[in-house]
Amino acid sequence: MGRALSVVALVTLAAAPLHAAGFSIFEQGSKALGMAGAFTAQADDPSMLFYNAGGLAFVDKTDFSLGATWIRSTKADFQGAAPFPGPGYKAEQETLSEFPPHAYWVQPITNTWKFGLGIETPFGLTTSWKNPDQFAGRFLSTKASLQAFDINPTLGWQITPTFGLGVGGIVRVSKVELNRHIAAINPFTLQAVDVGRLNLTSDYTKDSYGFNVGILHRWNESFSWGLSYRSEIKVDYTGNARVTQISSGNPLFDAIVGTQIPFGTKLPVKTNIDYPAEASLGLAFALTRNLLLETDVNWTGWSAFKNVPINFTGGAGSSLPDTSLPQNWKDVYSYRAGLRWTTSPASQWRFGLVFDKNPQPEEGVSPLLPDADRTGYCIGYGHTQGFRYDVGFMYLDFKKRTVNKFRPSEGPFFGTYQTRAALLGLTLNF
Amino acid sequence: MHRLKILAGALALALLMAGAAFGQTVNTGTANFSTYVAMGDSLTAGFSSGSLEQKYQVNSYPALIYREATGKTTGFEQPLVSAPGIPGILMLTGLFPTVITATPGLGQPLNLNLPRPYNNIAVPGATLHDLLTKTQSTSANDITDLILRRLGATQLQEGLSLKPTFVTLWIGNNDALAAATSGIAIEGVTLTPAAQFDADYNTVVNAIIATGAKMAVANIPDVTSIPFVTTIPRFLVNPRTNQLVIINGQPVPLIGPNGPLQAGDYVLLTASAELAQGRGIPAAAGGTGQPLSDNAVLSAAEVATIKAHVDAYNNTIRTVANAKGLAFVDANAVLRDLATNGIAIGGIDFSSAFLTGGIFGYDGVHPTAFGYAYIANLFIDAINTTYGGSIPEVDLYPFIFGPLPNQTATLAAPLTGKAIPSATGFVFTPEARRSLLQSLNLPSWVVDGTKPPRKPRHPHN
Repeated sequence: MGRALSVVALVTLAAAPLHAAGFSIFEQGSKALGMAGAFTAQADDPSMLFYNAGGLAFVDKTDFSLGATWIRSTKADFQGAAPFPGPGYKAEQETLSEFPPHAYWVQPITNTWKFGLGIETPFGLTTSWKNPDQFAGRFLSTKASLQAFDINPTLGWQITPTFGLGVGGIVRVSKVELNRHIAAINPFTLQAVDVGRLNLTSDYTKDSYGFNVGILHRWNESFSWGLSYRSEIKVDYTGNARVTQISSGNPLFDAIVGTQIPFGTKLPVKTNIDYPAEASLGLAFALTRNLLLETDVNWTGWSAFKNVPINFTGGAGSSLPDTSLPQNWKDVYSYRAGLRWTTSPASQWRFGLVFDKNPQPEEGVSPLLPDADRTGYCIGYGHTQGFRYDVGFMYLDFKKRTVNKFRPSEGPFFGTYQTRAALLGLTLNF
Repeated sequence: MHRLKILAGALALALLMAGAAFGQTVNTGTANFSTYVAMGDSLTAGFSSGSLEQKYQVNSYPALIYREATGKTTGFEQPLVSAPGIPGILMLTGLFPTVITATPGLGQPLNLNLPRPYNNIAVPGATLHDLLTKTQSTSANDITDLILRRLGATQLQEGLSLKPTFVTLWIGNNDALAAATSGIAIEGVTLTPAAQFDADYNTVVNAIIATGAKMAVANIPDVTSIPFVTTIPRFLVNPRTNQLVIINGQPVPLIGPNGPLQAGDYVLLTASAELAQGRGIPAAAGGTGQPLSDNAVLSAAEVATIKAHVDAYNNTIRTVANAKGLAFVDANAVLRDLATNGIAIGGIDFSSAFLTGGIFGYDGVHPTAFGYAYIANLFIDAINTTYGGSIPEVDLYPFIFGPLPNQTATLAAPLTGKAIPSATGFVFTPEARRSLLQSLNLPSWVVDGTKPPRKPRHPHN
């Protein structure tokens, strides 16, 4: 039965459109990473707190797990097109190298009630352009970064020997930073010049809450299924903006600009970001005694990410005109397949493949956050006895993203973005 | 026989490879730019900041269309003029107060001996009727001779003598603009009657398409979308704060020829010199109490008269464009949008604001190099739409940041202005005004500000 179903699942997978990307980070455990995140129906290590809290119900001993995923871009280029910045224009992003961490503790309370505490980094982003003072897109963004940590206490309830339910609360701690240049027309040249650098940094917010819920049904020896949901969380940020003046070379003009923009002053600012809900359905089939196949579908409710308002609250003399960064993303699906091959009681090899559809409309693709459809190829290894650890590797190939549309508030910034990244995860278990 | 086949194959392959090597041709659809002629007025000539000057001519919208449509930088001839242009190009010499004045001296024609008519045959100051009738300059300041070179032919005739395969025609601006820039709206003098416009426009377009040439045309912007008309408010402004002067809780209206200015009246850029002398400012507010001259004010009635004419002209242009299947640029809608909303390019805001908008030059009427490049892209988009081509748009980068294409240096370092006492903080010097009005080829009595030969104040009565 398992085999027949798995074939159906694979066919379904192949026929589905290549679809969930944005700035979510689905790599919260190196075991799952090796199987491209197709882990909802397994959820059999402490990273279950992220992938499917239903798995917590089956925990029978205390376990700790600590790790990080090294995300490194191997290529992040932009090639311009007419009318702006033009076909001869090329730019590059700084090499991204980040280590979003994860840590989990799972603890049985009774035979049927279990407790878990997870710390995850489910969202994150850094887009930083090289030579920001010359970058043609500097009036849109020179560097944008976002960090989000979830503190995720969870309760698991083993309702029957094969059916588990997990419910958790999420405290999201996050911070956002935006940087860009401000342009003006120099009346002496009638051409555009840089007049200021705008930096906007929020404080860490600690009062944003959400929840997660998951079920895991281990139907029999050869089939299990799981369903996991993490809620949408709206985060309100407060922070400060500051503009430093850039001289145009003409003191008269600089003086006029100085009367228009409050340079060097703290400008209190408010903004908010709606982080999307995520849902996953996974089916896992034991093909043989040692071989397990899982196929997952993930849904990400990116349509919540409509707009990033930037509201200045400082009043006269310490504010700038309010603005907003429209996003209007779409809900997307991603498709994941993972293969687990148990080669000995102490070792597992894992393989995975993910098709991840980007949620960003073409007119919204800009230097702030250029996204694209992705295909990820994964391999992983786990040592499951004694000194227990998991390593996972993903090569992530982004489809070329060509932009020929624009939002009137930003204007054309046409061209093609090309990105590739490699992810290496290491998780230690105690 | 066998050998012949191999030879034929080799030849075909060679031809294919040659085709590939030289095959960097632009897809222009059914339009053919092998002989492109641009007809029109100062906007087509590449006139900017009150002057015809090489730096802007080489980046006129027709020159840009030609470069994009053919991939070539030579073969499109224009009546180039060396710096500082003819008349001397306007420059900004100070910001406190703002002083705009003409560069002293005159440029020299650089392409006067070309043994054929120019591809860009547009004559600054030309009205639609001039295309059909005018062959030479009619006053000392008229630069028609610089373009048409007394070959005994009109602009239309010279253009058609090149046997063009493609023609752009943007004409009619001066049929309405002169009324706005001179502040005098008189049908038959500064405004072309709509019926005459309609007849002439049909004549010109029919003559061009009879040659088999494909065409693109643009309509006429409304005068209230240009900074020459919209910059100076009708109320007194404090030059130090750039805020309206408030007396007894009310803003102070400037004085026009018919008393205090009313809603819908516009003060032209050319009024700034008079305002600097206190004219148009009530005595109670520190002025002379004398009214601004008629030339310096566009009354609400004059605006309505001009708008009615522009609407009629544009109706003709759109009707003809539709009937003949011509590529059509709605310049009126684009300029109105620029005046109302502005545009952004890569996060940089441009608007119709004088001096700080980046679209209009120092005369407040003619676009900057960026403005012309933006217009070129409007034409290119319209041509691609109508004729099924994929001509690339102009790369705006050098027009936004400089240096301009075919230029090695950016504009000279700005001069620092000497302080001139001013009630408005803005001076459009008499020389600047003169060179602008001259370039529009207006009658000398308008240029000199002497009394008009007759005085029908309400042309529609």
